[in-house]
Amino acid sequence: MNEILSKLKNLNWFYFFLVSFLSFVGIVMIYSATSAMEINIFFNHITKVFLGLTIMIIISQIDIDFWKKNAFYFYLIFLILLIWASFYGHIGKGSRRWIEISGFYFQPSEFMKIFIILSLAKFFDEKKIKDPSDYFFLVLPILIVLLPVGLILRQPDLGTAAIILFVCFLIFFVAGLSWKFFASIGFFMLMIAPYLWSLLKNYQKQRILTLFNPENDPLGSGYHIIQSQIAIGSGGVFGKGWMKGTQSHLDFLPEKHTDFIFSMLGEEFGFLGTLSVVGLIIVITSITYNIANKFNRNFFNRVLAYGLISNFFFASMINMSMVIGLLPVVGLPLPLVSYGGSSMITYFIGFGLILSMDRGLKTNY
Amino acid sequence: MINRKNNSYLLRKRSFVLGGLKTLFTLIVFGKLYHLQILDKLKYGKLSDLNRIKVKILYPQRGIIYDLYNHPIALNRPDFQLNIFREKEDLINKYISSLRRVIEFSEKDLADLKENIRNKDLSDFIIMKKNLGWSQLEAFELISNNFPFLIINKEKTRSYDNSFIFSHVIGYVGYRKDLKNKKLNNLKFGISGIEKLFDKTLLGKDGWIKLETNSKGRIKKELNKKIAIPGENLKTNLIAPVQEYAYSLLKGINGAVVMIDCKNGGINCLLSTPSFDSNEFSNGVTAEKWKLLVNDKSKPLLNRCIAGLYAPGSTFKLITALYVLEQLNFNPKTQYFCSGFTEFGNRKFHCWKEGGHGLVDLKGAIKKSCDCYFYNLAKLIEIDSLSKFSKNFFLGTSTKVDIPNELIGIMPNKNWKKKNKGERWQKGETLNTVIGQGFMLATPLQITTMTAILASGKKIKPKIVNNSDNIFENIEISEKNLAFIRDAMYSVVNEYEGTAYSSRLAGKYSLVGKTGTSQVRKISKEERELGVLKNEEIIYKLRDHSIFTGFAPHDKPKFAITVVAEHMGSGSKVAAPIAKKVIKFALKNFLKSNE
Repeated sequence: MNEILSKLKNLNWFYFFLVSFLSFVGIVMIYSATSAMEINIFFNHITKVFLGLTIMIIISQIDIDFWKKNAFYFYLIFLILLIWASFYGHIGKGSRRWIEISGFYFQPSEFMKIFIILSLAKFFDEKKIKDPSDYFFLVLPILIVLLPVGLILRQPDLGTAAIILFVCFLIFFVAGLSWKFFASIGFFMLMIAPYLWSLLKNYQKQRILTLFNPENDPLGSGYHIIQSQIAIGSGGVFGKGWMKGTQSHLDFLPEKHTDFIFSMLGEEFGFLGTLSVVGLIIVITSITYNIANKFNRNFFNRVLAYGLISNFFFASMINMSMVIGLLPVVGLPLPLVSYGGSSMITYFIGFGLILSMDRGLKTNY
Repeated sequence: MINRKNNSYLLRKRSFVLGGLKTLFTLIVFGKLYHLQILDKLKYGKLSDLNRIKVKILYPQRGIIYDLYNHPIALNRPDFQLNIFREKEDLINKYISSLRRVIEFSEKDLADLKENIRNKDLSDFIIMKKNLGWSQLEAFELISNNFPFLIINKEKTRSYDNSFIFSHVIGYVGYRKDLKNKKLNNLKFGISGIEKLFDKTLLGKDGWIKLETNSKGRIKKELNKKIAIPGENLKTNLIAPVQEYAYSLLKGINGAVVMIDCKNGGINCLLSTPSFDSNEFSNGVTAEKWKLLVNDKSKPLLNRCIAGLYAPGSTFKLITALYVLEQLNFNPKTQYFCSGFTEFGNRKFHCWKEGGHGLVDLKGAIKKSCDCYFYNLAKLIEIDSLSKFSKNFFLGTSTKVDIPNELIGIMPNKNWKKKNKGERWQKGETLNTVIGQGFMLATPLQITTMTAILASGKKIKPKIVNNSDNIFENIEISEKNLAFIRDAMYSVVNEYEGTAYSSRLAGKYSLVGKTGTSQVRKISKEERELGVLKNEEIIYKLRDHSIFTGFAPHDKPKFAITVVAEHMGSGSKVAAPIAKKVIKFALKNFLKSNE
């Protein structure tokens, strides 16, 4: 008992507060977004936030070495779950990605992100890059990434697959792979780009195309982008006020409690609101960098921290870019703010791991 | 260890690059947010308002038109209209084909719809169909969820209770194409009759309403509005039951019934038959129907009361008689012999009675309607003077009645003849004029006004709309002479051998008047010699018009009436009995005991 208390005392409460505050913003926005829907949806979200916060604290109490030791086992377990979900799971939003356990649905693909990052960190920690041109050495980490990504694409869940690929790419980069590797990957991607394009479903192509010219298709896929921009733009500096967004409350804004929650925030709280959330994300990211940089000699911790925070940061920024019309709409929630179970819990797990590392700093160093 | 250090160095370097990437990304997002929320705030704010705010024009309710006893003649009924958001114009064709099961779109509906699409007004809605029936409304209600952006709108539209009976006097309403104010495409204006002349009063003032709608095309709430001000109600002097009764009597007859209150000049009845359906006209009459009515030989669109011109016939003898008494100091006891014709110049002027009336005085001449007596008076009369005298009774001049398109008829004189025929006045023409034939033409309203003036001795001006009591000056004619004329009129109806004796009223009130036969053709010498044909023996359109004008009660004149029955022969046969029935009905129901 005493041990637990002292561990809790060492918890980075400020960091905890920042993360909680972001999820509080989510609660406030979802209350407004779901005001016309069943109240259950709102309570469901609150429950998940508290569940997530609890999980975050629990994970922060487990020493980081535990995860390092068992990274590959977890990876394998979730790979199997992912295979199960991709072939036999429930279908929702047009893709097969859910597993049901006694009434609760969860997406293994979301949790998989954490274990891919863990596994990569572990791999690069143990097998140091001796010769940057030793391509054979890269077979395993590439497999670690591509196996789940392939499964996720099959579901299909383009957004999750893309963010995993992107984050892993960054981990490879941070881990110190040579520029030649990235150059050849880039060249390779360029070569197969037309093939990849042909693999995309029509609606996915359409989304990418309308990004460049939303007015071309104001009633089809461009409609969402236009309405989202109108919502954000009409918010102005101070916003229309909580619960008073016309675009969102009159249903002009699509998916307002999930992917487009940031648009609603922009409409109801204006530039000050969006700027605060962007600021909050930057502060959380910077503090995480600060933590990571303290691990001078712990390669695993640093790669893990960079990977986790990049996952959070880029998911946030890509979501925002999506709703303000900078990137195609791919179906990616805003971390901790959007409604959504598995994805939100995954971010809490990630922050739990970061908190655990931070706690380790205080006890071990 | 060296490796580790190197790696550590590389990691630091790489993480720095990563941080840079993140900063760059943040700056791009920040820039875009700044652009959207600060620089383009107005544009997007406007767009978001356009999304949700829809403006609808509120059309004013037209004023109600009442009769003298506050019985509504023209009122408003609810009109349920199907509207679509203007921005969803593309959906119209799709919706029409899927709505066909419950709502029928006629050719006219589709033509109106096309017009409504083309004419952009201030409204954010397009009217797709008007006049939805209850069953259509109910059927649509059940499936309305499948039709976003359609709304049902309750408007008020003009409706006439007796749509045939008051069509000419009240008129009808309709859309105007020549509007400068384009925003009122769907407002009905007065097109004819009272509706037209008093349009400004009846119309009211339009307003608008701003509605908040959601993306599904449903109205969530009213934002603000400027209420439409309903038009003012209008009270007329018409007595609906009298006009309705007169209409029933004129069934199958082309003609007119005009009744005027001799006290205040109020027009109690202004009926013209055949008529048309003013409701049908107000809802927009089809082109075929319109053509049919315009080409109809019985001229249902013509308001015979104010624009039907008839030779007043013997009814004008009243004025001729009054003229000689008043202006020529004629002795009414003077007798002339009627042999059935009078010779003047080298022409024979015939009395209507072939064998003649024998010796008659002025009163007898009026009573029996002897033409020869008046031919003899004509020899004393200067036509210009008679013409001028007649203007006192609105003959040949406008009564300035308060409905549009009144005709003034003809009260000929020398100048008129020169101007219109290019010839000098022939003395023989005076002979025709004094018995109301020849060039002379008058409307039933003018004849009624004449009678009302004779009855009251006041300069009556007939009015349909009821204003505060009109006070009229006395006419500058001696009461003695007027009394003589009234007395003669009494004998026409109430004395044996009077031409309208069969139409006398039993009871305490008596009807007085004068019959008339308005000649449509000239009777040739040959025909005269072979024997004048009876009216029934000649083709319809050449038959004489039957006219009666009179007033009642005799001692305290209240109602002056004129009945014209086209091509029905002499006044005594058709017009007088109808006048009698109408007057009897009016006296019984609408004469106050103190009058």
